[in-house]
Amino acid sequence: MTDDKMTDDALTSLRTLDVAAPSAEARKIALNAAMAAFDAAQPKAAARGGWLRNWKLSAGLGVPLGTAVAALVLLPLGTQLYTATSHRPDGVPPKPETVVSTTTTQMADKPVVTSTAKTDALTLQDEEGGDADLTPLATEAAPTTASPKLKMSGVVPAPVAEPAMDSAVRSIAAAPPTGGNMGAVGLAAPAESMPLNVVPYQASDDNFAKFDENRLKITAEEPVSTFSIDVDTASYSYVRSVLKDGYLPDPNAVRIEEMINYFPYDYPAPDSAATPFKATMAVLPTPWNAKTRLVEIGIKGYVPPATARAPQNLTFLIDTSGSMDEPNKLPLLKRAFGLLVDTLQPTDTVSIVTYAGSAGVALKPTPAKDRATILSAIDQMAAEGSTDGVDGIALAYRVNAEAKGQGTTNRVILATDGDFNVGIDTPDELKTFITKERDQGISLSVLGFGRGNLDDALMQALAQNGNGNASYIDSYAEARKVLVEEGGSNLVTIAKDVKIQVEFNPSQVSEYRLIGYETRALNREDFNNDAVDAGEIGAGHTVTAIYEITPAGSGAELNDPLRYSAPNADAQTPMNDELGFLKIRYKAPDGDTSKLIETPIAQALAVASLDAAGSDQRFAAAVAAFGQKLRSSSYGAEMSFADIAALANGAKGADADGYRAEFVQLVKLAAGLVPATPEPAPAQ
Amino acid sequence: MPQSSALVQRAKAGDRAAFSALVEAHYDYIFRIAAKWTGRRSDAEDIAQEVCIKLATAIRSFDGRSAFTSWLYRVTLNMVRDMQRANGRRDRTIDAFTIVHPEDDPGSQEDSAAAKELWKAVGALPEKQREAIMLVYGEDMNHAEAASIMGCKEATVSWHIHEAKKTLRGLL
Repeated sequence: MTDDKMTDDALTSLRTLDVAAPSAEARKIALNAAMAAFDAAQPKAAARGGWLRNWKLSAGLGVPLGTAVAALVLLPLGTQLYTATSHRPDGVPPKPETVVSTTTTQMADKPVVTSTAKTDALTLQDEEGGDADLTPLATEAAPTTASPKLKMSGVVPAPVAEPAMDSAVRSIAAAPPTGGNMGAVGLAAPAESMPLNVVPYQASDDNFAKFDENRLKITAEEPVSTFSIDVDTASYSYVRSVLKDGYLPDPNAVRIEEMINYFPYDYPAPDSAATPFKATMAVLPTPWNAKTRLVEIGIKGYVPPATARAPQNLTFLIDTSGSMDEPNKLPLLKRAFGLLVDTLQPTDTVSIVTYAGSAGVALKPTPAKDRATILSAIDQMAAEGSTDGVDGIALAYRVNAEAKGQGTTNRVILATDGDFNVGIDTPDELKTFITKERDQGISLSVLGFGRGNLDDALMQALAQNGNGNASYIDSYAEARKVLVEEGGSNLVTIAKDVKIQVEFNPSQVSEYRLIGYETRALNREDFNNDAVDAGEIGAGHTVTAIYEITPAGSGAELNDPLRYSAPNADAQTPMNDELGFLKIRYKAPDGDTSKLIETPIAQALAVASLDAAGSDQRFAAAVAAFGQKLRSSSYGAEMSFADIAALANGAKGADADGYRAEFVQLVKLAAGLVPATPEPAPAQ
Repeated sequence: MPQSSALVQRAKAGDRAAFSALVEAHYDYIFRIAAKWTGRRSDAEDIAQEVCIKLATAIRSFDGRSAFTSWLYRVTLNMVRDMQRANGRRDRTIDAFTIVHPEDDPGSQEDSAAAKELWKAVGALPEKQREAIMLVYGEDMNHAEAASIMGCKEATVSWHIHEAKKTLRGLL
């Protein structure tokens, strides 16, 4: 409380801050400008054609026309607003609709008066009955309006000599000056000055956690690799949408395991719920390195027969803030919802909580058989207001808890385009809250929409803490994939806290490297510690992990042998027929103690050529190679995009939904975006 | 500012003299807001001018639901925001909030340093929280007044203030 008092006192001193008085000159110019604008805005202004002249004279500056020429960039109000209000994801500020005046004159040390030559262009039409928000004005007036920009004392764009006027005007319009002036100057400078042939990394306000690639491990030193399984796929859809917009994604946005796991693989499923999943292993040559091999571990979750599914209790927590009002956000979500509702069983319940200016229940828990009610509630959602939901998330959990029934699967599904301003403001508090609710049997999934404001790291962290998935939805097809096709698997958890541990056999494998899963690494001792949280697997999910291994004696080792530590003189049996040993730990969805599945990775699994490997395995390898390229990894650089596309193309398999064909297109797209610089030196 | 409402009505109707008097009467008010929020005279003058120009048309949309000055505050604050965003300062609010700008303030060093610290802390808050703090503490408004300027509910202002104080606690 004393702290509080101190804060209060300190803040009160804000009041005493004094500000400078305006200069008389600035005041005069502003008032004159206002009058000019006022006259222009009057429908029946008598002196309409002549207002500019009058204004200049009455401004009292007394600068004769033609004494000196200053080309000033006039920035329509609309441009500023457009720039200000649109956080473009691609890092390229929108091109200002710049109007350059050539008619006015100025002395260097006096206030600069500029205006547009088109006097009647100054028809700032305000929106009817509007409030003080200026945005609608921008869209309406931007193309034709030039607000007289009167520069007082700031940096004035360099005056240019008269003969050079035309070209100077053009160059100013095309490449804005770099002065630090308020408003007009410096808006578009970074983008416009960028050479055309360089495709920038996608830079935006989207927030990605940095991570370093898994490093190569020496088997003799660190024979055990441990990580948490995860079935998130958000990274792939994000990368796809960025590439389709013609940019390279931020390397930190590329999580290879999420890219690999995006695709369905036809691994054999376990026969009964008793063992909830089955591992399929393969050893194949590495496409980007002739001397190493890939060990692919594919895991497929048990698919319960449709009738055996527990009734679901779903609460959608939907961000209806103003920014969701874009075709690829709320409207997309609504359409996808319609599909989801169709796939629900009559015993399922659906409820909807929205948050924006305030949180509210848009749909009380309603049985899925009451389709009409649900659909009309979905229809009525509209994006409005700022994201300020004071207790959106708490409300959603409360609503969900109300609808909990005997044996229901309870889940809150958060759909948002950005900051999780859901009432609990620090990520840690939010995570704690979600974890607590998870332990009460309500899990959380997160659906990300749009781009530009997405807090990817938080989204992922929330879903992980809530035993759910994070998916990024960029298109109707993706919405369909996530909500409908995978609806079953995303919603029904068949095992939780699934951890994988692989022990490599040093006599067979001298070095190894896990591709992806950087953000899911676990400590070796965490594997047997049931208190350590890990990923979940839903019904029918497939998860693939790929190791690149260097067979002992292949000569492809990146590390030199040690001088003093003699090779471990086969103290134990070398078990030369095993590359390693796979252990999977998991808990039943409602269990607290883990169970263990173990299986050796047999040397016999190895195939001699890529062609001999299955199409799933080859395709996964291609995705891994693509991810490495996008991350500018030190591995796999020597494999060209064309090679990757060819490998993927030859491994499409049935590809009923066309996901793999789309991937091939994406690789080709990326090939065109990467600047034609020399490829980095091979890792070897 | 006497007879503001009569002036506003006449200005809305297109009375040139009334509009002139209105702007004249409020210029300092507008400038002061802009200066308080930007901390720079040159920026404040730019903003004040833009607001004056904007008023020529925006005045017609003033509906009298709130006091003219509250409405004007909001118009000005929006302009400040737009300018700051347009200048790419959104992520460098501390910059924009150096009220003790060398350009303007030759004044007492000690006071300036303390003020600077406070500004820095306030400037680093999320936008909404910063606005709420500025309005309530810097302008001595109650939460309802601040809410009418921020265009949100009173409870939301209170919440922003609460959150902001939580952050500031210990920093000040």
